[in-house]
Amino acid sequence: MVNNAATRKVVVLNPAGLHARPSLAVAQTVRDSRSKVEIRTPHETVDAANILQLLSLGAAPGTELVLSANGPDAQEVLESLSQQFANKFGL
Amino acid sequence: MGKCPSFEEGTAVMLQRMELIGEKVVPNDDSGNISIYVNPDEEERKYLTEILKLDEHTLASSLDPDELARLEFEPDHVAIISKRPRNYSSADTFVFRISSIGLFLFADRLIVVLSENVPLFQGKQYARVSSLQDLTLKIIYSSITHFVEHLKVINAVSDALEEQINASMQNKYLLNLFSLEKSLVYYLNAINSNGKLIERLKNSAVKLKFTPETIEFIDDMTIENSQCYEQAEIYSNILASMMDARVSIVSNNLNWLMKTLTIITIGIMLPSLVVSIFSMNVPFPGMDHAMTFWGILSLALASVLLVRLTWWWKKW
Repeated sequence: MVNNAATRKVVVLNPAGLHARPSLAVAQTVRDSRSKVEIRTPHETVDAANILQLLSLGAAPGTELVLSANGPDAQEVLESLSQQFANKFGL
Repeated sequence: MGKCPSFEEGTAVMLQRMELIGEKVVPNDDSGNISIYVNPDEEERKYLTEILKLDEHTLASSLDPDELARLEFEPDHVAIISKRPRNYSSADTFVFRISSIGLFLFADRLIVVLSENVPLFQGKQYARVSSLQDLTLKIIYSSITHFVEHLKVINAVSDALEEQINASMQNKYLLNLFSLEKSLVYYLNAINSNGKLIERLKNSAVKLKFTPETIEFIDDMTIENSQCYEQAEIYSNILASMMDARVSIVSNNLNWLMKTLTIITIGIMLPSLVVSIFSMNVPFPGMDHAMTFWGILSLALASVLLVRLTWWWKKW
């Protein structure tokens, strides 16, 4: 199994920030993947599979987040997450 | 329902004006007949109560999270107070709260009053909106789906906290679970209150001039809301019944830690005892022998080995 590493920048577009429902969507996407994903803000880094950490992140609208993935499907999971951020998680 | 006075009559500043064009809700800042007020200030409240003749108490209820959902008939409009989940922020520390929303339906206008700035008309349910009545019901319906989605989040948070509790002895995770339990009680109360509102809307269908399609939609809302209530009730019951078990697990984790610490203390204490006995400032047989030091050290190490063997034999 080849481990790939990938990084991507996304911006929180949801007017209410990265609140409960987007956090669940992110955590579920990462849990469904085979990669470890971290989300970095200028202040902290959290495990994207852990909803407790995502909820405590408090990313406000307009915040730039750095997503870094490491695992066999790192590119795919980051692509999926980027699309979700761009589509405002369908909300 | 009477016609709503024109907005030109007042000087109120509102956050957003929308209108219905081709079964879609689109922004129209000039003459939109759907007005959304977020936390109206004194001037806006004055405009709403004096010019649009909204009841002051009902208007205050739209912004009060503790008000119950209800339906009130006024001379020229219908006032609906509905409950919706408040957007979660990191400052809420796992307490999911409720907010209210006021919908004031006139013959030609809809006034929406709410306490937080949230995007209202997003989601597939707003793809086709036939009338203001339809839009009013869809806003209530989106509250139900919002509750369902928040219940999924609560369930995921509860699972994550459970994992933390299994591996930790900190009270904060238990307190977080208590917060979730409290949130579910708020949610149950709000969903139940919305259920009563939907029932009243159905009973007032003739008075509100609802079409058969609208009544059918209300039936769907009733089913969705009762499913949402049952889901919240199940989560609440599971959380409440498992709480005692989780408290015991934390207590048990602490007991294990204390036991391990005690064994380590004994393991250190025994060699210290051996060495202390031979450190007394009195002569003892063989103290001048060249191998005495190594003999004492071997005794101390043997005592450590004894503790380890007893630990293994007793299966501590």
